[in-house]
Amino acid sequence: MDKIRISRLSKKYGKVLAVDSVTLAVEDKEFFSLLGPSGCGKSTVLRCVAGLEEPSEGEIYIGATRVNSSVDGINVPTEIRPIGMVFQNYAVWPHMTVHDNVAYPLKLKKLPKEIIETKLKDALHTVGLERLSDRYPSQLSGGEQQRVALARALIKEPEVLLLDEPLSNLDAKLREQMRFELKDLQRRTGIPILYVTHDQAEALAMSDHLAVMNAGRIVQVGTPDEIYTRPADRFVADFIGLMNFVPGRILSRIGEEATVEFLSGHRLSVLDRSGLSGACLVAVRPEDISLSPTGPIRCRVEVRSYGGHLVDYKVRADGAVLRVQTAKTEVYKEGEELGLAVQQAILFAARES
Amino acid sequence: MTATHFDRRYLLMAAVGVFVSLIVIYPLWQVLFRSFLDAGVLSLKSYQKVFSYPSYYRALLNSVWVSCATATLCMVLGTLLALLVIRTDLPFKKTLRTLLVLPYALPSFFAAIAWIQVLGPQGYLARLVLQVFGFATVPWSIYGAGGIVFVLTVHYFILVFITVAGALERMDASLEEAARASGAGTSQIMRQITLPLVLPAIMAGGLLAFIGALANFGIPALLGMRARFFVLTTSIYYALAIPDFGLATALSSMLVLVALLTMALQFGIQRGESRFTVISGKAVHPSELKLRSLRYPLFLLISAVVVFISILPILSMVLTALMRYWGAPLSAANLTLQNFIYVLGFETAQRAIMNSLFLAGVAATAAMFVGTVISYLHVKARLKGSRALDFFATIPYAVPHTVIAIAMILAWAKPPVSLYGTLWIILVAYLAVYLPFAVRTTNATLQQVHDSLEEAAKASGAKLFPRLRDIILPLARPGMIAGWILVFMPALRELTVSILLYAYHTETIGVVVYNMQDAGYREIAAALASIVMGLLILGNTILRKLTGGVAGF
Repeated sequence: MDKIRISRLSKKYGKVLAVDSVTLAVEDKEFFSLLGPSGCGKSTVLRCVAGLEEPSEGEIYIGATRVNSSVDGINVPTEIRPIGMVFQNYAVWPHMTVHDNVAYPLKLKKLPKEIIETKLKDALHTVGLERLSDRYPSQLSGGEQQRVALARALIKEPEVLLLDEPLSNLDAKLREQMRFELKDLQRRTGIPILYVTHDQAEALAMSDHLAVMNAGRIVQVGTPDEIYTRPADRFVADFIGLMNFVPGRILSRIGEEATVEFLSGHRLSVLDRSGLSGACLVAVRPEDISLSPTGPIRCRVEVRSYGGHLVDYKVRADGAVLRVQTAKTEVYKEGEELGLAVQQAILFAARES
Repeated sequence: MTATHFDRRYLLMAAVGVFVSLIVIYPLWQVLFRSFLDAGVLSLKSYQKVFSYPSYYRALLNSVWVSCATATLCMVLGTLLALLVIRTDLPFKKTLRTLLVLPYALPSFFAAIAWIQVLGPQGYLARLVLQVFGFATVPWSIYGAGGIVFVLTVHYFILVFITVAGALERMDASLEEAARASGAGTSQIMRQITLPLVLPAIMAGGLLAFIGALANFGIPALLGMRARFFVLTTSIYYALAIPDFGLATALSSMLVLVALLTMALQFGIQRGESRFTVISGKAVHPSELKLRSLRYPLFLLISAVVVFISILPILSMVLTALMRYWGAPLSAANLTLQNFIYVLGFETAQRAIMNSLFLAGVAATAAMFVGTVISYLHVKARLKGSRALDFFATIPYAVPHTVIAIAMILAWAKPPVSLYGTLWIILVAYLAVYLPFAVRTTNATLQQVHDSLEEAAKASGAKLFPRLRDIILPLARPGMIAGWILVFMPALRELTVSILLYAYHTETIGVVVYNMQDAGYREIAAALASIVMGLLILGNTILRKLTGGVAGF
């Protein structure tokens, strides 16, 4: 059963349409991300689920409960929704100790003291904060405050966990580490998570499913692999990972195989189900281009940069500059004349104008 | 789960709305309404009266020219002092600044009393001048227009000083450095770069001084009435003594109109200034101007000014309190503590101290409480209609206190609810007077509390009252304490409202000091004033410590 179901959700601020008819569902035990550039409306969707914003239109269910319905005038207050939430700036209350911050949701439920203490111990253990229970937030690092916020959100045993860019204030190293911890925590607790981020690497690494949003709309929903290998449109292709775009023309099609011709006259056959014809845009991931002295398309290495586990090139071929990433076993010099081969590509309709 | 969940915040807003209506909107409406009423019918008779009797329309003109003169002098004095104290390498600048701001922590009618002691016919300085130069009488008079403008200027120049000092501190030093690099000398830079850039601040400060002078009662009352020189506030006092409510309300409405016009102008200048991008919010520590050979002469000059306007009046007040009788020759034999002993044992004074403590304490607590609720609804919850609530609660800021006192008489001194002659009518007036200050402090405090802190409480399952109790109020507490003191201190020494509303047994400290002074018991008045002065300076120091120098003077 779906733990969160959103149908035709819209949110207007004055005349600005921040969220435009969004529909999505988060299953039980699922890690679901909303991914998009800043201002795309992803946080607004999350805040509508939390009840912190009232939708202009649409319905939201959490579990079996309808928490929002514009038609029936339902807007359940945040405080009685079965949610846990973690904010971008953690929102750990500075005047309370870690203990009091995390215990607060249970105190509100007026549970007996012993039960609160037992659950508190569990929650602090889950996030690894047992030792810091008596500290104040000002004595904690960003990562530790993050865990306090997480424990506070989990302790009331909500039906869903809502996370609003929780990692964006951490430094790069800690962010990587927290990705795994979050994923692991979700496995252990089995709690469904709705996760908002603008960081595509984060979304790809953690999600079971993700929805890519742009300008208030959902552009594509899928697994990380689907989104990466089969982007629905040019926006997704560009936003997720690195992508080269080269103009071309579709010459012919046999079944699912299309033959594309570049401006230089080089031809390429591409697996494609788009049904496009005529002018098109060929999208190629940097790792789907291979370099060799004998490659079919002549090119010249313009810039080479060392990327640790790989080597990053900018090469010029027939007037176009392409980004290429190869294993470090093959290293070419700047200025070297080579050939390149395209392993696979995706076709999109040509740019208007 | 029911389909609709009643939002308790609207309940809170309704309660506060009723409160603001009762203490602000209804009383002020009464003033306006009454000014157009004659024997129960609408008429312009009261206004006709104002403009057909020279003594009344002269009061209006006097108010305007006295305030204009004060504002002009304040702009000159305040700007000069701000330039010297902020932008030059004068020694002991911090101390100078603290001392310059000190007199503003004391009530203006204390200043009037002190300056009467210094410059009045038998004043300390007057006697000194007579002795030294052998004049028969001193060539000035503290009673009358000149004295009023002088004391108003000494009291209100600080408003210009503070706004200009703030602008100078926020000004980007590179603007002046660029002028220097272009070949301009110090005086050219001052005239062509610095002054034009801080001109909006000078104007804004000048208008604040204008409003202060316009609304002031204590100074023209103590220095003007004796010389039959009336301004609007003292005319209103006079009209109430007749009593002629039509006349009093007509004069009040005109006073409010002038104040509102000035305030609108000031608001316009501030908005204009915010478009002035060169004066940014950040402090950039502008370079100091080197005074070189002028450094010590100017320091001596400023020290003399500081001693004259800040220290002399306070010394004079304490000295008078210690004198065996007013006008006694200055000698150790004539010094005594008996005035203090008398005042502390004097029943009316004791009662007044208790009354003032009660009024100030209750007014500060209630104003901060209501202010916090209004700020919460406006700044945090952002409910529909909360903006209007905030606006109405801030209205009394623009209304001179004399007018607020009249409003309370009109609204709450007639059946079925007659509070006249009780402490409650003064309390209601204090609530109206100090609510704007409370709301401003709590607005600023709650703006510092990030929205997500309350949202996290909601997500934790906290309803409205637990949220306020556990999260919002504890986080706002430091600001609320500072705000409480900020209301308590002026309320403790308040004169204008209580002089119009007091009755036997409901005197305040201000009323007793004023009446003692007026009846000629100057050394007794000075003793009580000295005690209050000590308390105020102490309170101010605590406030500055508490807020790290942000609040207080």
